[in-house]
Amino acid sequence: VLSIKEADLKKDPACTTGLSNFLLKDHPDENKWADCVHCGMCLESCPTYEITGQEQHSPRGRVHLIKSVAEGRLTVNEQFMDPVFACLDCRACTTACPADVEVGGLIEEARGQIRQAMPLTGLKGTVSKMFLQGLFPHQNRLHTLGSLLKFYQKSGMQKVVRKSKLINIMPQHLVDMESILPEVKEPVRKKYKDVKVIKSRGETKREVALLTGCVMDVMFSDINEATINVLTRNGSDVTIPKNQTCCGALHVHAGDRDMGRKLARQNIEAFKDADKVIVNAAGCGCALREYPELFHDDPEWHEKAEEFSVKVEDISKYLFETGYEIPKAELKTRITYHDACHLAHGQGVRKEPRDLLLNIPGVKMVHMPNSDRCCGSAGIYNITNPEMASAVLDSKMENVPEDVEMISMGNPGCMLQMAIGVQKHGRNQKIVHTVQLLDWAYQKEDGKGEH
Amino acid sequence: MPVKGIKSNDQHIWNLANIVGDARSIIYHKEDLIAYDCDGFTLHRHLPKAVIFPKNTEEVAALVKYCANHQLPFLARGAGTGLSGGAIPLNGEVIISLVRMKKLLSVDYENRRAVVQPGFVNLKLTNSISDKGYYYAPDPSSQYCCTIGGNVAENAGGAHCLKYGVTTNHILGLEVVLPNGQIIEIGANGILDEPGYDLLGLLTGSEGTLGIVTKITVRILKNPESKKTVLAYFDKVEDGSQAVSDIISAGIVPAALEMMDKTAIEGVEAASFPVGHPKDIEALLLIEVDGIEAGLDEQINQIVDVCLTRNVREVRAAKDEAERGRWWANRKTGFGAMGAISPDYLVQDGVIPRSKLPEVLKRINQISEESGLRIANIFHAGDGNLHPLVLFDARKPGQSEKALIAGSACLQVCADVGGTITGEHGVGIEKREEMRFVFTDEEIIAQTEIRDVFNPGNLLNAGKLFPTPGRCVEIKRELKEKETYTKA
Repeated sequence: VLSIKEADLKKDPACTTGLSNFLLKDHPDENKWADCVHCGMCLESCPTYEITGQEQHSPRGRVHLIKSVAEGRLTVNEQFMDPVFACLDCRACTTACPADVEVGGLIEEARGQIRQAMPLTGLKGTVSKMFLQGLFPHQNRLHTLGSLLKFYQKSGMQKVVRKSKLINIMPQHLVDMESILPEVKEPVRKKYKDVKVIKSRGETKREVALLTGCVMDVMFSDINEATINVLTRNGSDVTIPKNQTCCGALHVHAGDRDMGRKLARQNIEAFKDADKVIVNAAGCGCALREYPELFHDDPEWHEKAEEFSVKVEDISKYLFETGYEIPKAELKTRITYHDACHLAHGQGVRKEPRDLLLNIPGVKMVHMPNSDRCCGSAGIYNITNPEMASAVLDSKMENVPEDVEMISMGNPGCMLQMAIGVQKHGRNQKIVHTVQLLDWAYQKEDGKGEH
Repeated sequence: MPVKGIKSNDQHIWNLANIVGDARSIIYHKEDLIAYDCDGFTLHRHLPKAVIFPKNTEEVAALVKYCANHQLPFLARGAGTGLSGGAIPLNGEVIISLVRMKKLLSVDYENRRAVVQPGFVNLKLTNSISDKGYYYAPDPSSQYCCTIGGNVAENAGGAHCLKYGVTTNHILGLEVVLPNGQIIEIGANGILDEPGYDLLGLLTGSEGTLGIVTKITVRILKNPESKKTVLAYFDKVEDGSQAVSDIISAGIVPAALEMMDKTAIEGVEAASFPVGHPKDIEALLLIEVDGIEAGLDEQINQIVDVCLTRNVREVRAAKDEAERGRWWANRKTGFGAMGAISPDYLVQDGVIPRSKLPEVLKRINQISEESGLRIANIFHAGDGNLHPLVLFDARKPGQSEKALIAGSACLQVCADVGGTITGEHGVGIEKREEMRFVFTDEEIIAQTEIRDVFNPGNLLNAGKLFPTPGRCVEIKRELKEKETYTKA
């Protein structure tokens, strides 16, 4: 006979995490997995589960594995690394989860543990160091690379390489990438390096600081330029704080949390005097907003990071909320919109960019099914996991409507990846950033520009 | 040609991989297998021997034959969202995962049926045919991710089963791999009521103990012309319960009639899809009627009147489809939402005569008080299907056992008032012992004898559905196993 008044119903103290096989420093946050009840509502939202059908490659599976290490049932080793690093960190599961489990944050913490326990060695280690520590955080080196790329494109070398057999010895994903490199222009940080404040066109209503981003400013400086244009046109004075650096998203994604923290501290200091930090790259915006996550063990910086993170805003949301002038010129075009994961899932920004686009006269929006499905770019995932990234991209391209001229989005990584997709699938859409379109409409209104 | 890339000393792993012909279609490292040590029921965990992903029926049959010939225990798994532990590899089974068999094979609008592979996700069927004005009726709350194969195994229900029936009422045909590897088709022409034994009825809800379903013919329905949804808040849970009985007595057959109590409301409001339900009400009803447009408003008025006579605080119809969608998202993610207010939960699945609702709720409340564990209640009130959610924290010693005991006590209450122990989640591991609340030994033996006809070696999903002797001993033994497993 069952009775619930048995002796074993006495109140007992909570367990501690004494069994954990994670290192104490930067220990993954237990509360993040405590919310997961293993219901499985996340499964279908996950691109890597869709492709593999394997639960260690699903959000709840990954959470389960991470929890198992913390419970002492697993150790941090090569086999554990695979599911944790195969995650795109796209955060679609966070949107699907009924209990708000922060899978993305947990994955990043677990990657930090893996990198602490098993530092990268050999070629992978060298390459990773070269990019993550040697390149992205250094403005000058980035600019030099930009100039080299520009030289590569303008000197005719690109043509030579493409015609020669040289291109045949590159891995396919790098060939794909080479072929879609945008035309490199002058970075805005160079252009405005002696300008203290870029003044608003009319009366100054607000003052904002712009994060120029590392890849953004080298590869897509025209988007930064467009961002400055739409801001100054709508009453904002823009400053570009000198000491700003790479947001650190790529480092945190790769498990290098120490470097992530170093960059975070530098940015927090650099933007100390700003009331508003405007970002036009979804991945960077999300990373900046999540700086507090990096300082769990450091109350002083945690507080500073909290103060900083609330100042960060995506350009589309900022314009939507502070109001902007609806362009009068017509841009006759059919476009579709791709939700960058770190905008839609990471920051909950979905309607604002669509609103900007829909308000441009002449723009016809065509719905993209599963528009908030990852494109496979995911930071440098398309370089580190080319095969999976390519499968994710193929699945994305199936949903891109045929009858549009442009695909608009709010993240440079997605732009490169979608450009690869367009080329690989023999399509002809132009890839544009949301603010670029708005800027073109303004330019047309002013009788300038080619659009 | 043997498969390349397998790193294992176990010859079985090599042989199984050869059947599917691809090293990426098998998992055998402990680090990956841990993701398969439980399903939506997390209180029991066991590692499988391997997980293997066949592409077609022939591969399933070959895998089953291999397991049968080598006496390897095996079981089938879909999305692993089951709530009673039906897909947990209690005996270190080889898991045959059907998630890569996920095609919609054909749709026959004229005869209103569709053929799907078992790994096809429930909601995707409705999404694939909705532009033609059709849908698939059984709608378990996990329909965003659960597979139709799993729905067949568990005879899944859902919010709209009050009017439309559960999975078994929508299955027209099955292709099944029997536990000896033989492939049979039942109801091949999709015609109901074939001569001979009702094997469709037997297989549907057999919880993966009689065979592995590899192809399913389901009934599809034309969308109702219109739907209307009402939300009602009650200060007293008794009033809410009475309103449920009154609505049915008035001759209305709602498509759905759902209820949530105070603790459940606290959970869904703290989670990802809040709708702003007041925190101080004791119960809410979500009522949906569908059918021909003309007459629906009249039904809605009748429902509102009933609620008013039962002291409703607030009652209103959804103003548009968006609001209706928000109400349902809030309700359908209710179980997972418990994560927002508790680290773990155990969901029970009792069925009772509707008239006993107030009495049963009172007794569940007592169980909650006595156990010291909170119990949230979400139910398909219209058909008397209760889901008490026992909230606990597995990290606290003793709480898992308390939760199991409290859950079992809830089922005892259901059986006592003339109900039964499961409406739609299945027996699995969780409610094996509770089968004794509703069946005599002879009745249980009659059923295990049927299982033995199909599954004589009991290699397929053994240890599920029927009781084994000595419940308390069992729990203690399993906890001990869990402990050793933790240390291993």
